[in-house]
Amino acid sequence: MNPLPVTDADLNAYVDGRLDASRVAAVEEALAHDPALVDWVADARRHNAALRDALDPWLEEPIPERLIAAAAGPAEVTQPRLRRWLMPAFAAAATLLLGLAVGWYARDVDLERDGTPTTFTRQAALTHALYAGDVNRPVEVWAPEEKRLVTWLSKRLGFPVNAPDLNGTGFALVGGRLVAGHENPTALFMYENADKQRLSLQVRKQRVEGGEVAFRYAVENGVGVFYWIEDNCSYALSGNLDRGQLLSVGRVIYGQLAALEAAPRK
Amino acid sequence: MPIADDAPLPQPDLLAAIPRLRRYARVLTGDVHRADDLVQDTLARAWEKRRLWTAGSDLRAWLFTIMHNVFVNQRALARRDRMHVSLDDGEGSEAWQIPVRAGQYTRVELTELVAHVGRLPTDQREVLLLAAVEELKYEEIALALEIPLGTVMSRLSRARAKLRLAFADAPAATPLKVVK
Repeated sequence: MNPLPVTDADLNAYVDGRLDASRVAAVEEALAHDPALVDWVADARRHNAALRDALDPWLEEPIPERLIAAAAGPAEVTQPRLRRWLMPAFAAAATLLLGLAVGWYARDVDLERDGTPTTFTRQAALTHALYAGDVNRPVEVWAPEEKRLVTWLSKRLGFPVNAPDLNGTGFALVGGRLVAGHENPTALFMYENADKQRLSLQVRKQRVEGGEVAFRYAVENGVGVFYWIEDNCSYALSGNLDRGQLLSVGRVIYGQLAALEAAPRK
Repeated sequence: MPIADDAPLPQPDLLAAIPRLRRYARVLTGDVHRADDLVQDTLARAWEKRRLWTAGSDLRAWLFTIMHNVFVNQRALARRDRMHVSLDDGEGSEAWQIPVRAGQYTRVELTELVAHVGRLPTDQREVLLLAAVEELKYEEIALALEIPLGTVMSRLSRARAKLRLAFADAPAATPLKVVK
């Protein structure tokens, strides 16, 4: 343990769970001898949690069109194909926008309680459509560099991920990318068959209360999505396949994951 | 590796970041409409400066950096034009409703808490929000706000001390043992 005296910065980092491991023992030692400090830490953590409680619901509001337009970027930069995919989101329902707004950042979303159980399938479908529809750059890292892709994505997600082998179903790996941002970064693996149909598998950390493996199938705007959560990890398999085909690919993936005896997730 | 000059920013990631940007902007500006203006300006600026973003790096953290710059510039202009910017002088503008989910805090407690946060000096408010709500790393906050890491920590500490004072029934917050 690093025995230097405990500083303000140490205590704040301890509150936020960002304290360097070598300092934790020193801080806890200090706390053991100072009840006032314990109160301070408890209060600070309570304020953190309360602030998030107060402010997280704002994340669920539908996004105004002008901000979606701003995100689409200047016309001369954005590929026309991508803009066309975004247009349905403008016109469409607030439900689609709401689905995206709840998005990757909704904290501890309880699928049973939040009343929109297909939210994640909508997001998965939209994300799939955006990238599968991109001729030039559907993925960031291509299949020949699969090892690098997997290493990168595993690092970003914080747990090991692998690209399932779907060759037996006629789908070859095109490559992958990282989707969305900080809180629950999502790995996306893209596959393609001989008919140029594309499938994507999206994987991310997902806490769920109850611990059940919940399988869902939905069709969103013509994109089929097969979705499940297991071991605090969510999987969404998306594509313009019929239900039977999609589910059989899903079964293959599920089987491979089970066989892998996946490493412990956080 | 830097992206090509004309390469677009990843739109799904930008879209996904909007709710968080809006939320941060609201507590920053104290006003729902100004917040959305700030987000719009931030996104426009992000597109202008897209060459500065490194593909694969944290887009959200970068967007917060851009928002900070836009915000600072706008405040400088506003001060120059003698426009009243609410929340800077400690007056809260309750321009929002705090939706409350079933949980351990009442609406009153949460509204008070957010009001107190709104009354913090801007530089403390920014750090507290980015650390506690957006959960950026301290290094990311330092980059976003263009301040040294030590300043992040001291502003965070002061913000928490102020909040604690605001809520204390008990005597004032214990001064922490500050040792360099």
